Amino acid sequence: MIISDRKLKARRRKDNSVKGIILSFSSVGLLVFASILIYIFKTGGGLVGYDLLISDYQDFNTDVIVNEVSGDFTYSSTLDDDEYYSNKWDVVLTDTKDREGKDIVVISYIGENSPLRDVSDLNSIVDSGFVRVNIPINSSVDSIILDDYDFIAFSKFGAETMVDIMNMGTSIDSMTLVKEGGGIRGSLITTLYLIGLTLVIAVPIGVFSAIYINEYARKNKLTKYMKTMIDMLTGVPSIIFGLMGAAIFIPFVNGTIGTSGGSIISGALTMAVILLPVIIKSTEEALKVIPFDIRTASLSLGANQTQTTFKVILPSAIPGIMTGILLGIGRIIGESAALIYAIGASIKDKVILKERSTTLAVHIWTAMSGDRPNFELASAISIIILGAVIILNIIAKILVKRVSKVSY
Amino acid sequence: MAMISKYVTKESIRRKNLQDKIVKNIFFSSTILSASFIILIVIFILVKGIAPFVSSKYISNVNLFDFLTGIKWLDGATGISTDYGVGFLIINTIIVVLISLLISIPVSILTGLFIAKIAPKRVREIFRTVVELLASIPSIIYGVFGLGVIAPVIMNIAEVLGFQSSGGLSLITTSIVLGMMTIPTITVISENSIRSVDKILEEGSLALGASPTQTQLKVLIPAAKSGIFAGIILGIGRALGEATAVSMVSGNRFSGLVFNPFDTTSTLTSRMLLGIKETTGIDYDIRFSVGLVLMLVIILANIILKVIMKKVGNLDDN
Amino acid sequence: MKNEFEIKDLNLFYGDFQALKNLSLDIETNKVTALIGPSGCGKSTFLRTLNRMNDLIDSCKISGDINFDNNDIYAAEYDVIYLRTNVGMVFQKPNPFPMTIYDNVAYGPRCQGIKDKRILDKIVENSLKSAALWDEVQDRLKKSAMGLSGGQQQRLCIARAIAMEPKVILMDEPTSSLDPISTQKIENLIDELKKDYTIIIVTHSMQQAARISDSTVFFLLGEIIESGDTKTIFSNPSDKRTEDYITGRFG
Repeated sequence: MIISDRKLKARRRKDNSVKGIILSFSSVGLLVFASILIYIFKTGGGLVGYDLLISDYQDFNTDVIVNEVSGDFTYSSTLDDDEYYSNKWDVVLTDTKDREGKDIVVISYIGENSPLRDVSDLNSIVDSGFVRVNIPINSSVDSIILDDYDFIAFSKFGAETMVDIMNMGTSIDSMTLVKEGGGIRGSLITTLYLIGLTLVIAVPIGVFSAIYINEYARKNKLTKYMKTMIDMLTGVPSIIFGLMGAAIFIPFVNGTIGTSGGSIISGALTMAVILLPVIIKSTEEALKVIPFDIRTASLSLGANQTQTTFKVILPSAIPGIMTGILLGIGRIIGESAALIYAIGASIKDKVILKERSTTLAVHIWTAMSGDRPNFELASAISIIILGAVIILNIIAKILVKRVSKVSY
Repeated sequence: MAMISKYVTKESIRRKNLQDKIVKNIFFSSTILSASFIILIVIFILVKGIAPFVSSKYISNVNLFDFLTGIKWLDGATGISTDYGVGFLIINTIIVVLISLLISIPVSILTGLFIAKIAPKRVREIFRTVVELLASIPSIIYGVFGLGVIAPVIMNIAEVLGFQSSGGLSLITTSIVLGMMTIPTITVISENSIRSVDKILEEGSLALGASPTQTQLKVLIPAAKSGIFAGIILGIGRALGEATAVSMVSGNRFSGLVFNPFDTTSTLTSRMLLGIKETTGIDYDIRFSVGLVLMLVIILANIILKVIMKKVGNLDDN
Repeated sequence: MKNEFEIKDLNLFYGDFQALKNLSLDIETNKVTALIGPSGCGKSTFLRTLNRMNDLIDSCKISGDINFDNNDIYAAEYDVIYLRTNVGMVFQKPNPFPMTIYDNVAYGPRCQGIKDKRILDKIVENSLKSAALWDEVQDRLKKSAMGLSGGQQQRLCIARAIAMEPKVILMDEPTSSLDPISTQKIENLIDELKKDYTIIIVTHSMQQAARISDSTVFFLLGEIIESGDTKTIFSNPSDKRTEDYITGRFG
C-alpha cells in the first residue's frame, strides 16, 4: 500500500498520544497507593510510638494534695510561647494537645524547691496518712482548687489563666491530674488474642479438611459438592459474615459459656469461618505439589494412612500452610465490618476474652465515627496495620519462593 | 528380618487400622463442618431476615412490600413511628457501584494492558507489586483516606461549582473510594487475560502493518474480553458488599434516591452498620433483612451479568 | 526482471546460537520462490527477517544487508510499519481475529486511517475475490470469522494480507494444517496471485514446491546450499546434499 510520509507521521503522532493516555491511566494505581501512604504517614506519623502502644485508652484521674504552701521563686530559662511560669509555685504550665487532639494543660517543669515536689494522693490512705507520690513531668492537670475553694483553676481556661489563678492562692487543697489515655494497648492485645484464638480454631479444621479432600476422599459428586460449598465462602462479603457471627456464634457462646452479648470468643469463631477457605486453599496447593509416589512409598513400607499423613505429607506441606496462615493473619488484622457485628465496638483497657473489645481496625472505626473524627489516631493505627499486613505479605511471598525452589 | 516381625503383630496392625479409621473420621467431620458453613449462613440469615415480617414476637410486623419498595428509613429514634424501607437503598447502592465502575474499569483495563504488554521488565515488577499491595489494604484504611483526603477535595470542588455538600460526604466520594478499592481486582484479572491471548493474533496484526498500540487496543483487548468481563463481575461483587469504607464516606442519608453527585447517599451495607452500637429489638433484627436483600442483590447481579457475558460471547462465535 | 529483495551476507544470532549463516539471495518480482529444507534449518527464521517480525524477539541479532526496493530495511530510519504494509505475511496456522469476516479484511486498511465505507467495501470485495473466497462468504460478511472452516480461514488470512496491496506476500507453510482439498485450492490461488504479487513460500512439501514455485532455495543448517530455477533444482541439482534431500535420503 502506498502511504505518504505525511500520513505516516500523523499516524505516529496519534499513536504516541494514545500511548500517553494509556500511561496516564496506568499511573492512577501508583498515585492512589502513594497518596494513601503519604497521607497516613503525614497525619499519624507523629503519634506512632511506644507509648501509643502501651497506654490505656481511658484517661486516669488522680487527685493530689500539695503539702506545702506557696513561696517565691524565680525561673532562669526562657519560656516558649505557650509556656507560663508561676513564681509562687515554681512550676511551668504549658498549653498543648493530647492524643485525641483535645486542648490540655501540662506541668512541664517543677522546680527543685517547688512545693509541688511534695504531694500526696488523696485517694490512697494508709495509717500514717495519705501516700506521698511524685508528679511525673508533663502530667496533664485538669483542675486546681486553692484556699478552700476560693480559687479554682480549670484546664479549659488555658495555661496562662491557670497560672494567674494559682498565683492568687497560698495552699492547694486538691489538684486533679490526668494520665492521658488515647492509647491503643487494649486494642492491640485484643487483636493478638483474636489472632491466636482464630488460628487455634481455623488451622486444624482447615488443614484437616484439605487433607481429607486431597488425600482421602474419592472423586465423586459428594466431594465435588463439598468443594463447591467451601469455595462459595470466598465470595461472601465480610458484613454478611458479621451477621452470621451475630446470628449464630453470639447466642452459641452465650448459651455455652454464659457470656452476654458479643465477645472476643464469638469474634474468633466468626473470623475462623472467614479464614477457612484461605487455609484450605493454601493447604490444598501445598498438598498438590507433593508427588504422588511419596505416598505409595510410605504405604509400601507398612505405614498406615495416618502415619503417612502426619510423618511424610504434612511436614512437606508446612510452608504452604504457613503461607495461608500469614495471609489469614493479615485478614484478621484488617477486618472491620464482620467484627463490628460479631464482637462489638467498645474500646477496652482491660481485655477479657468473654467480653467485647475492639481490634485495631475496629478501634479506627470507633475513633472516626461521631462528630469529631480523630484523624491522627486513625492514621497512626493505619500505619501499624498497613506495616503489619505488608510484612506478612512479604514473608508469605518469600515462603512461596522457597517452596517452589524445592525440587523433588 | 526376624527383628521386625517381633513388632508386627496382629494387635499392632489392628491398632493401626483403628487409628486410621478414627483419624479419617476426624478429617471427614472437619470437611463436613467446613462445607456446612455456607448453608448455615444462608439458613440463619434467611430465618432472622424474614422474622421481622412474619414473626409474632414483635409488637408489629413490618410489611414486606413496603419494606422492599420504601424510599425512607425511619427507625423510631426520634419518636416517630418506624417505617423501614430498603427500596431506595437498593437503587442508591446500584448507582454508587455503577459510577465507581466508570472509574475502575478504564483504569484497570489499561493498567492491565500496560503491565502485560507495554512496561519494561523492572517497571512491570514494580506495578505488579503496587497492585498487589493495593489489594491487601484493609477497607478501613480506604475509609480513613476517603474521609481525610477525598471528602475535603470534593467539598472544595462542590463549593467552586456552587453545590451544597455535607463536608464532602457524598455519592461521588463513595464512588471514588469504591473505584479505588476495585481497581486491584479487575487489574490483575485483566492483565492475566491479556497476557494469555494467543501470540499469533498479535503477530497477525503486526504483520498487517498495525502499530503495537493499535494491535493492543484493536486485537488484544477484544480477544481478552471474556476474561476481563469475568474480572469486572468479581469487582462488582466486591463493591456491592463493601461496608466499612462506604459507611464512613457516604453520609448515611435516611431517605430518597440520590442522583446528584454531591448529595449524601447510603447503601444497603452502610445502613447495616449505622447505629449498630445502640440498637435492640426489631431495629437490630431488621438489619438481617437488609443483609438478606444484599445477598439477593449480589446473587441477582451475578446471574444477570453472567447471562450477558454468555450472550456477548455467543455473538462472537456465531 | 527486477529483484524485489536483495539479500547480502545475512547473519542472524539468537543469543549465542547462529541461526543464519552468510546468506546471499535475490528474490525476483512476480515469481513464486519456494524455501525448502529439513526442519529447524532456518527457513522460517529467514522469512521473518523480510518483514522484521524477528524484532519481536529480544535476543535476536542481525548483520548484513536486506534491501527491499533499494532500501536497507534494517536501517535505523527505515519505518518498520511502512515495510509491513508492503510485505504481507500468512502464517502456518490460520489466525483470523475474533471479529466479523468484513472487519478482518478491513482491519489493515482501517489501521492506516481509511474510514470511507464505500472504499472499504470495495477493498473487502476485491481482496476476497482475489483470495477466491468471495463467492462463499459474500452473504455473511458480518458474521464472525471464527465460524469458517480451516481452509476458508486461511484464505481469509490471505485476503486480509492482500487488502493491504503489498508488493510481496510471505507464506510460512500456509497449507501444513489444512486438508488436501483446501491445500489444492490455495495452491491454485498462489498460481493466480503471482501475476500481481511476489510470493515467497516456506514449505515442507517438496511436491508442493515443485508444483507451484518458479525458483527454489534449499536451506540446510542455516545456510543456503543451492538456489535457482525450480525445474533445474529438482531434475538436476548441482550439490549432492540437495540431491540427497530431494530424493528423500534425509529430512
